[in-house]
Amino acid sequence: MLLSLQGIRKSFGGVQALSNGNLEVAEGEVHLLMGENGAGKSTLMKIVAGMYRRDAGEMLWRGQPVSFTRPAEATAHGVAMVHQESLLAPHLNIAENIFLGRETTSALGWVSRGAVVEKARRIISELGFRLEPETLVGRLSPAGKQLVEICRAVALGSSLLIFDEPTSSLSESETKEVFRIVKELCRRSIGVIYITHRLEELRSIGDRVTVLRDGATVHTGPLNALDRDQLIQHMVGRPVNATYHRESLPPGEPLLEVKGVSRGFLRDISFVLRAGEIVGLGGLMGAGRTELCRVLFGLDPAEAGTVTVAGRRVDPKNPRQAVASGVALIPEDRQISGLALKLSIAHNITMPDLGRVSSMGILNKSAEMALASDYRERLRIRCSSPRQLAGRLSGGNQQKIVIAKWVARGARVFLFDEPTRGIDVAAKQEVFEQMDRLARGGAAVLMVSSELPELLQVADRILVMREGRLTGELARPTTQEDIMRLAAPLHTAVESIQ
Amino acid sequence: MQKSIAQRLQRFLPFVTLALLFVALTIATPHFLTAVNLASVARQTAVINIMALGMTLVIITGGIDLSVGSILAVSGLFGTMAIKAGQPIPLAIALGIAAGLVCGLLNGLMITMLRINPFIVTLGTLEAYRGIALVVSKGLPVHEIPERFSYLGDGNLLGIPFSLWVLALCAVVMHFLLENTKLGRYSFAIGSNQSAAYYAGVPINFHLTAVYAIAGLLSGLAGMVEASRLMTGQPTAGLGYELQAIAAVVIGGGSLQGGEGSVIGTLIGAFIIGLLSNGSDLLGINPYWQQVTIGAIIIAAVGFDEYRKRRFATA
Repeated sequence: MLLSLQGIRKSFGGVQALSNGNLEVAEGEVHLLMGENGAGKSTLMKIVAGMYRRDAGEMLWRGQPVSFTRPAEATAHGVAMVHQESLLAPHLNIAENIFLGRETTSALGWVSRGAVVEKARRIISELGFRLEPETLVGRLSPAGKQLVEICRAVALGSSLLIFDEPTSSLSESETKEVFRIVKELCRRSIGVIYITHRLEELRSIGDRVTVLRDGATVHTGPLNALDRDQLIQHMVGRPVNATYHRESLPPGEPLLEVKGVSRGFLRDISFVLRAGEIVGLGGLMGAGRTELCRVLFGLDPAEAGTVTVAGRRVDPKNPRQAVASGVALIPEDRQISGLALKLSIAHNITMPDLGRVSSMGILNKSAEMALASDYRERLRIRCSSPRQLAGRLSGGNQQKIVIAKWVARGARVFLFDEPTRGIDVAAKQEVFEQMDRLARGGAAVLMVSSELPELLQVADRILVMREGRLTGELARPTTQEDIMRLAAPLHTAVESIQ
Repeated sequence: MQKSIAQRLQRFLPFVTLALLFVALTIATPHFLTAVNLASVARQTAVINIMALGMTLVIITGGIDLSVGSILAVSGLFGTMAIKAGQPIPLAIALGIAAGLVCGLLNGLMITMLRINPFIVTLGTLEAYRGIALVVSKGLPVHEIPERFSYLGDGNLLGIPFSLWVLALCAVVMHFLLENTKLGRYSFAIGSNQSAAYYAGVPINFHLTAVYAIAGLLSGLAGMVEASRLMTGQPTAGLGYELQAIAAVVIGGGSLQGGEGSVIGTLIGAFIIGLLSNGSDLLGINPYWQQVTIGAIIIAAVGFDEYRKRRFATA
């Protein structure tokens, strides 16, 4: 056995990411690693690649217990990872990237430019790629960058390659190319761990599959022993969590009307959000959900179509227009785009609407503090004072500040992009209650989530996207399987295989 | 609790340094604590200080303005040339300040409209504005200015140097602007997290342009004070002042990452630099060593700031 992981545990500041990770990979095997977002796949792989250290559990490499404390150690043992987001230097050329960090380790001491290019050319042609070693990596497509990463791994003499969702950003023909390479690697008795969400890929590539759910391995076995429904069952697993159940409201007037919106790969998207509704937006990573939110918030203006807010056509060209019309975005990366961490809670809350607490550009600080205190209480933000810096609060509380500032601004359409990512279960429950309260207060809520059970618990109806299009709308009651069917192009792929 | 004491100490460190320096110099030399000497320190630092106030605002937004020294020269020249051309002195001063405002406005417009990094834009205008000053003056200083003009930089009001009054007024206004106006708040917001400010609908371009215009205006005012103090309009005035202004802000707790900085900190920072140079003169220390000392203090101040932030991050 090339790699064997037993009972791997890992937690980040109280959040258990892995509770019982088990995985075995043999030489020349393609091992699929599956699971929902947040199941712990990436964490497990980062432990293998030496990017994280495990808290507990056993890791055997060719039968010997090992512990990689740095990526370089994993690399030295022969573990290489092809990342979803490329970790290459864009300003260097392909050959330089392939041999980055090992330029002078050759016997000659100093490796000439020409020699590096020649060595790179040899590896590229061995693998059958069409790449010119002197091309700058920054000019390559995502697929080209992945090929370079594969070359790099092969040049390192790696015996285990980890692909983290390699095809999520690739076209169909590029995907086929990746599959061909994976098979080629197996032929050289290199072990491959392949993380994927796309069910249709499975059978054309994998030998065995391991499914993670909630940080634990729930299934390992040969792939052909499972049918698609059984796989989804393993991934989704738990019966739909009934602890939180939301009472639907009769929907009111339309607050957000989207008609035929297109931009980039988003095509012809139309839907309506009504007052009092929470509408879920499901789909796989890269389906275009975040991109749609960005269009609706004016960050990337639509190229075609109309956006109407509360009966007034807005077509926001920038966030100012969206904010003024009553649209609020609670972005996924709230620490990056949602909050000014060096500013106080109060200053964050009043940021979108300073006009309300100022006249002629001069702030009325007592009015500001009163407003902030008011919303701090309404949203139950736990802090010692509204003067506390936003950066010192927990993730859940930061989330509430972001919501508070929009509520204070009087927004009526709320776009939540992955609102529960990275916060604990109790905080999630509070976020759901916040959304419910917003809806009951007459707002319309669009909730993007990759976690299907959440969508099922909270949303009145669920829109599903795939590859930039709205593929369907599901009314309550519905199931995770239904959503998955609309999100992944299962039918065609499975039918063609069977 | 321990942390908050350490934090508080850090906040007051520049002030403590200034106070210690003051006491040490008082003990070390009898020539220090005299009205004449203190007035001279005040006059010398007022110019840098006025510029540094504008720099504080710029640095809070996460930007930088390298062109302030050149703007100072342009303004001083325009103002003194207007006086020579027979304009009334107050009008000439206003003209000089307006020239600074225009220069700053241009900086702001290029940064926001062309989306060029402020360091690059102001590096360019550092050269260009200096060039304009040389072209307009044909490289020659403006002399023989009516004596009344010296009041701005050299006069006294109620026994206190007039330029110190000007500085105090600017400092109060700037403090109010930072703490009590939308412009000030948005400056902190942009410097702390430009993306969050954009998402919140803050008109970033408008406010950034205003910030650079204000920095230009204050450099223009500093230019007039400098011209009045030296009674000449020099195309080469203010060489290297931008670095002193930046140093004052940074020693006073401003962060080049943006989002941090204060008027009181900058004033203290500028006075620390002023006292160091004055003290070295009085004690007969080699002026070359002065430069070494000031450089060391800048690095120590920023080093301490980084240390504090690392502790902050891990705590």
